[in-house]
Formats: sequence, structure tokens, C-alpha cells
Amino acid sequence: MASTQHVLLSPAELAYLHEALSLTPPIRPDGRAPMQFRPLVAETEILPGTNGSARICFADGTEAIVGVKAEVERTRGYHGDEQEEGGEEEEEGGEERREGEREGQGEWVELTVEIPGYRDDDAGTAFLAAMLSEALLADGRFAKKLWISRRFHWKLFLDILLISPPLSYPLPLLSLTTHLALLSTRLPRLKSEGDEDPFFDDDWAAAPYLYPQGTTTTRPPITLLVMAVGRNIIFDPSKEELAVADVVLAVSVGEAATNSASTKGKGKAIGGMDIDSAAAQPGRSLRLLSVRTVDPPSRVTPPGMPNATNSAYGVAVSVQKQPEARTVEAQAVEGVWKAPRGGAKPAVMAALVQKVLERGGVADEVLDALEAVELG
Amino acid sequence: MADRRRVNGPVGATIPPVFEDEEVQTQETQRVTRSRAPNGIRKMYLKTGVTPSASGSAYLEIETSGKDGVSGLKLSCTVHGPRSLPRSSPFSPHIILSTHVKFAPFATKQRRGYLRDPSERDLGTHLEAALRGAIIADRWPKSGVDIIISIIEGDQDRETSGAQGDDTWDMMNALSGCITVASAALADAGIDCVDTVAGGVAALVKDGGETGTARIVIDPISSEHESIEAACCIAYLPTRDEITNLWFKGDMPDHDMGIYSELVQQGIQASKLANRVLVESLGETVK
Amino acid sequence: MPITITAPKAVRPSYATADNASDDSGSDSSSDNGADLEGDIPMTSSSRRKEDKSYSIVTPGEVITDDPQWMRGHGTYVSASTAAIVSSVAGTITRTNKLLSVRPLRARYTPEVGDLVVGRIVEVQAKRWRVDVGGSQLASLPLSAINLPGGILRKRTETDELQIRTFFAEGDLLVAEVQQLFSDGGAVLHTRSLKYGKLRNGVFVAVSGMGGGGGVVRSRRQVWTMEAANGAGPLDVVLGVNGFVWISKHVETPEALVAETKSATTGITNLEESVSTTMYSSQNDRIGIETMREIARIRGVVTALVENGLRVDEDMLVRGYHEAVEMALLSGGGADDIYLGGERGEQLAAALTGV
Repeated sequence: MASTQHVLLSPAELAYLHEALSLTPPIRPDGRAPMQFRPLVAETEILPGTNGSARICFADGTEAIVGVKAEVERTRGYHGDEQEEGGEEEEEGGEERREGEREGQGEWVELTVEIPGYRDDDAGTAFLAAMLSEALLADGRFAKKLWISRRFHWKLFLDILLISPPLSYPLPLLSLTTHLALLSTRLPRLKSEGDEDPFFDDDWAAAPYLYPQGTTTTRPPITLLVMAVGRNIIFDPSKEELAVADVVLAVSVGEAATNSASTKGKGKAIGGMDIDSAAAQPGRSLRLLSVRTVDPPSRVTPPGMPNATNSAYGVAVSVQKQPEARTVEAQAVEGVWKAPRGGAKPAVMAALVQKVLERGGVADEVLDALEAVELG
Repeated sequence: MADRRRVNGPVGATIPPVFEDEEVQTQETQRVTRSRAPNGIRKMYLKTGVTPSASGSAYLEIETSGKDGVSGLKLSCTVHGPRSLPRSSPFSPHIILSTHVKFAPFATKQRRGYLRDPSERDLGTHLEAALRGAIIADRWPKSGVDIIISIIEGDQDRETSGAQGDDTWDMMNALSGCITVASAALADAGIDCVDTVAGGVAALVKDGGETGTARIVIDPISSEHESIEAACCIAYLPTRDEITNLWFKGDMPDHDMGIYSELVQQGIQASKLANRVLVESLGETVK
Repeated sequence: MPITITAPKAVRPSYATADNASDDSGSDSSSDNGADLEGDIPMTSSSRRKEDKSYSIVTPGEVITDDPQWMRGHGTYVSASTAAIVSSVAGTITRTNKLLSVRPLRARYTPEVGDLVVGRIVEVQAKRWRVDVGGSQLASLPLSAINLPGGILRKRTETDELQIRTFFAEGDLLVAEVQQLFSDGGAVLHTRSLKYGKLRNGVFVAVSGMGGGGGVVRSRRQVWTMEAANGAGPLDVVLGVNGFVWISKHVETPEALVAETKSATTGITNLEESVSTTMYSSQNDRIGIETMREIARIRGVVTALVENGLRVDEDMLVRGYHEAVEMALLSGGGADDIYLGGERGEQLAAALTGV
């Protein structure tokens, strides 16, 4: 899909874009600052038939809608003959747990992405869906929220719909919409107790949020697209910008849970830890959940022809001696586009991730902005 | 409201408890633990030119650490091309790469269907990104190449129960194998590459129960460890010192770029080791 | 702040407000619109037409006239039973002598002979290129409709056919003129002038073309050179009638200068037939940072105009550009601040329309 799709730009355009984006500071074609996102219009709880929903659109008309639906499902693998303690071991690898603690499985969440103009089984769509669900399930905490009892759980269906064919790689748009939809998701209040058949309160107003409202709780992860051109790091790239990228990364971050014992803060009082981290440094503490390279379309762009070797250049079409193939390959002529080859230096990749994770950095501000979106 | 005044019978069917023997229990909890050094990869066998009818091919086998002679991962890769694109397709100044990764239906504990499922497509996308950086695409305009990988046997030990190990981490091992074998097959097919690319996996694992400390190992087997906190799979070009594909997943403690960078470094290390095998095996084909 | 997320705004008052004014003057608050619209539906539009001549939006199936003196043009059809002229699109009625046609509010570009268009090569065939001009059909550019390098008029040989990709290859942008039309809506282009040819040294932006609302409209001048602010030097702007816009650094080709002086003095060289050496070059010239910044600013003005439903022509763009330069100076970022998205764009549009 977008990562592999053929971007049709002329070599002269590519050379211009690459040059403009390599400047310090870069000049982006739409005039944005390197870390600036395209302005978004967002609303939540737009679909009354769902447990949670959200809509985000760009000024160019690209629009994503996410609907979250939940169903009660019988937990597979629970049989009456299991021992109380030992039987639970099979549900999730390794992690030690106290008695009675909830646990979840990745397959309780089903995430589908639908993009008009692309086949359902398109590799790019599968890649997008895998990336989004990977971030959601990475910490293993999300699935635990769906636990009802040892015999039942919620099965969550996240359906992500792009309304218009994508004008740019839709990953950040889909991720932010999913984030808002999950924030607005509510599950009916459970009235039954223990392992009996689940029984719910039919008062929707009393239904608790999947992510309880408030500041001390975790929030769904977000996935940001970030790319590098030369020494510049650019966020939320447009299609044209991606076409000249040296490397593109999709980085998923979540907010570190302040109310649960994280690996480091174990043993500390919850409240104390909260204040500690808040007082020590501004901004939230972020967890890195996943990183993926996105195949930049720049590698399949048409190369430009330097005037020196262009037979259609010059007044007289003299048969110019073709320079040696070696010099053509090695030399980069200014103003001529050449598709990049090879990969990216490890240091560049690390810098990209670092930029996302920075305290008070981009991910932080994006989360702030998302928090400001009113639910309902 | 459920009727709470009556004593209801149990909701589901009940089966009288069966108590396990002491012996059985000890056997079950026994876990094969990692015996290799944390910075060592498993032995692998790589051979190119195994499928004469294809333009290029390679076969990769990685041993399981548990027993000698029992292989874990078995991969076969065939490369068809470069060949001209069909008439209907538009002009391309570069070679068009298409990758197919398929688990054999019997490769894993859970049987897989014949159609590619999303996770296999996802692997294909990763592989494509890893290889596209390595090949010199503009040497072959107007042509296409198909890279087909069948995972004959997934890296899953029959001895371990379903509880041990996690499929999602096995995917990374499979991907790193796919990258290495595809690179060998591409070289066998004579397609220009800037460098040989090999895959490597590093993971942050935790052993020893609640008090255990996390450490970084390369080429992890999920069933050997109590839990894997995070892992990353890297496709690396050793002579250029460049990464063509990076896939990291896990739960990193807050702001710890240190551990993340260390993981990437170790992944590169694993990839370098695999690359040594790859280069040697390519040299052997001449003999 | 790297990101702005806003709540959706209430829809702008639509055409219904005009009706409100005639029906019951004074109620134009958006909350009343819904009710009024409902009231509109039962009214037949033909009866309405007789009362209100200024009403000019027609919808498909609406009878425009049953007077036989009119001839039907684009966007209309003649109903079989009544012989009346009926609209087939939603749009505005235009009358040319006795010809009635309806111009759609929003449609893809329909080429007309003489249009200056910006297009992108999508396919190279044996003797012609297929060019995307944003229309319903790909336009074609025959090899015989370009000037060959060297400025010599000669027959197109097989050698030229073989190296057709050295002139234009897939992805290349060019500016051309519509020479001829086919009945199926396809167009034939030509680049037989110094003004036309491959585009370089700049950026491309596609906006919706002909039609109501925003977008590029046919106007007196589609191509001009303007002096940019902040020492950026002259810039070329090409507004393709098809809605494709090209903004680039102005490059004075030596050949053009020579040709101009020659034609002025001797008049032998035909400017139209000559060709510059750089016509098929894909190598950019050196472009200064200031120039790049102003090019991006103009691009920002174009997108801001379109996003706010304003027309894009020379007058609007030049005014918008000067306004944008002023705005940047007043804003905190100084002259380097070229961002014109979101609220800035609305601000710009408001300043231009004087609302």
C-alpha cells in the first residue's frame, strides 16, 4: 500500500523537495515546522450504536472513523477440571501474578483496517493493522481490562475505516482516531459476581469507561510517523515528503502507568511515586512500545538525468561520450535526484526514537492535545 | 437482578477435581533453560542452489538448543527473476520486488491454512523492506523478481506445552531467518546487492521468578525464558553499517533509551554473526 | 505547539440562506435552516423559477425551460415527452445567445481547446505520451507535437521514437496547451512553444480545477512572473486551467534572451519554433533558501485559498501572497514563518474577502 505504492513525482520535484527538506531548518512544502502536525478536526462518540467511536479529519478531506464494539465471549481454555492456581498458567507466557489477578489474551482484541481502493488482504493494510494492534497489546495491560470473570471476557472489535482514499500514509491519522475511540469506549457495568453468568446493568449512563477518566490512569498508545532527511527529523510527513525520505519509522508510545507497579518503581508508594516523577521533570513518562521501519517509497522513485549525460540537453544533439558507468554511480550531481540505496545508520534510527520519546517532546504534546478533546 | 435468595446450582458443568501426581507436576514445570552464552547464536546450516529450477534458492536450518540434532527453524527460499514484467503493468525504472512468506500448514503447533493470514503478510512486508534496501534496484529496470519463502518448520519445540513460549516472539525469529535466507538466495540468483543482509534478533528476557533481573540475550527462544519483556529484529548491512529494517516490540520502562539502544546493538551483533555464516556459505558454493 | 486538534465547526450557512431572505426575511441563524429546508422541498422548483429570476442553481431533472427557442448545451438533456430542456447536473445556468448550458458546481476538468494545462506523464507509448491532466480521460501528447532539442525542424525519426523517454518519462511534469479535442473528452496536447515544456526548480500542488467554489478559474493570465518578498527574486507561477499549479524559481534561459533580441532585430528566428536547451532537463538549478521559502509560502497561499473555498487566480494569489507576508511579519515567527494551515489560512481568507 502506501509504503510500497508507486509515487509518481518527477525527478526535478524530488530533487527540489530533498534539497528543501535537507536545509536547516527544513522548508517543508506546506510550510510546517519540522515537528508540526497537520491541523486536525476531531470528535468522539459520534456513533450511538457502538461502545465507543471517534472521527478525525484533515483539512484536505482525509477522514477516519473508528467504531469499537464489544461482545461477551466465553473464555477458551477454561474447563471445570482445571486447578485454581495452576490452570491459569496457560493463558499468558511467563509473567508472575498474584492470586485473583486478571489476565488477558491478545486474541480478545480484533482490529481491522479498511481503506477504500485497497483489497482487504493487501499487505500494506495488514501491516497497518498489525502495527496498530501490536502497540495496543504490547504491554499486556490492555487485554486485562477485558476480563470479566474466569469464564467470560469481552471481545473487542476495533473497526477502523478510512473514508477517502489516503492522500498520505494514513498511519498517524488511524492511530490517533483509535486512541480517541478507545478513550470514549464504555463497557456496561457488571452486576453479577464471581464466575456466574455475567449480568450487566442496562443503564448506559452508569457504564464505566474502559480507560477511566482522570489523570492518573493509563491511556491508549499512539503511533507516530517520523522520518529523516539528511540531518533533519520530520514528523507527520505528507506523501511528497515521504517520497524523499532516507528512513521512515513508525514509533508507538504509551503513557507509563503511574498507578501500577512498574518495573522500576516497585515497592514505592503509589502516590509518592506519582508526585516524584511529576515533580522531577515536567511532562509525562512515556513507554516505548514498538518501532517499525516503514519502507520509504523513495527507493522506487525515478532517478533524474544530469545535464551532462542527457542526450536531449543542449542545442546540438551531439552524440556525447557516455561517461564511465562508475562515475555516474558514484557522483551525486547537485540538483539531480538519485533514489537512495542501502539502509540507515543505526545512530539516525536511534535519534528518531529519541526525538519521539523526549520528555516534553512531540509525543507528550500530542497526548496533551488528545486529552483536550472533549469526550461526547 | 439475579435471584440471590435461592441457592443456584453451578452454571457450567462441573467435573470432580483430579489431583495431579507430584512427579507429573515437577516434570511440567521443568523448563529447558538457555545454555548458550547470552551473546551467542544457535548453529545454523545454510546452503544455496538447492532448487535447480529457480533462478536462485537457499535453504536455512537452525538447530534447537534443547537437543542435538533436532532442528528448530527450517526455511526454504526460491527467487524467480529478474524477469520482464507483464505487459499490462506500468513502466518501472526499478526492479519490482514481491515477497511471499508462507508457513507450511504443519510448521507450527497450531495448524495453519493454505491461504496467507495477516501475520504472514506482515512478515512479507517486513522482508520486503529489509531486502529493498539491500538490492540495487535501478540495475534492472522494467523487471520483477519474486521471492518465495516457505517456512517448513517453525521454531517450536514439541516438548514444550502451549503455555511456554509465545507465538508473537517466534515471529521475530522467523523473520530474521527469512531475511538471511532470502539474502543468500538473491545472491545465488545474481541480483545486484549493495551488501549481504542478514537478520538478527535480540531480546530483553527475565528469568528467575519475581526477583529475577532482566538481561539482554541474542537469538532468544521464547520457551527457554520465563518472560520476554521486549525484543527487536534487525536487518543489517555489515560493510555499510546500515540498518534496512528494524522491528522492535515490547514494553520498555519509561525513558530508557539505554536499554533500547543496547537491544539494537545486540541485534546488530546477532545479525553480524548470521552474516558470517551467510558469507561463508556463499563462498562454499564455488567449491 | 506541534499539533492542533479542534472540534468540528457548525456547517457554513448554505444556499438555503438565500431562500430564507426571500421567504421570511431576518431568520438566518443556522438553527433555523433545517426547518426552512424542509419547507422548501414540497415547492416545485419550476413554479419557483417564475417568481424568482435570480435563482440560478438547478439540480438534475429540473426543467429549465420548455420554450422551443432555446438550444440545449452541456449539462442538459431534452425530455422525450415534453421536449423541454432539463438539467442533468447540479450547477449554474449559463446562456450563450440561444444556447442553454449548465455548468456543474463541482466536476472534473473538461478540456477545451487553447487551455493551458499542467500535466503529469503517466505512460509512455511508442509515439506518444499519455498525460494526466485531472480530466476524465488521459490526454495524449504525440511525439510530433513537441519541439525536438536543437531547434531544428525535422521529421521525427525512429531514433527519436527509441529515445522517447529522454524527452519525457513517467512522472515528469510539463506545461502544455490543449490543441485538439476528441468526442470522448480526451485531449491532444502540444508543447510547441518556449513557454511550454518540462517543469523544474519548483513545487507542484493540485487543487480542484474548473467549477464553482474554490479552485483555479480560467482567467486572463494563467502564467506570470512575480517578484517575491524577502529578497527571493522573481518566481514563476503556472496556474493550469485543470487545477494543477506549479510554482518555481524564475530562470531566464540564455536562449530565450537571444531569441528575443534576434526576433526584435532581425525577425528571422521564430520564437514559437525555437526550443531552449533546458527544455528536457531534469536537473535543478541552484536555488537559494529565501527563494525556497517564498515558493513554499505561495504554495501555502494556494492551499489556504482552496481550503477556504476561494477562487485561485492571479489577482487573488498575488494579494494573498502579500497578505501572507504581512501576516508573517506580524506573527511571532517573523518573516521565516511560512505556515499557512489551519487558523492561519482562515485568517488569510478572511483578510482577502474582507469579512
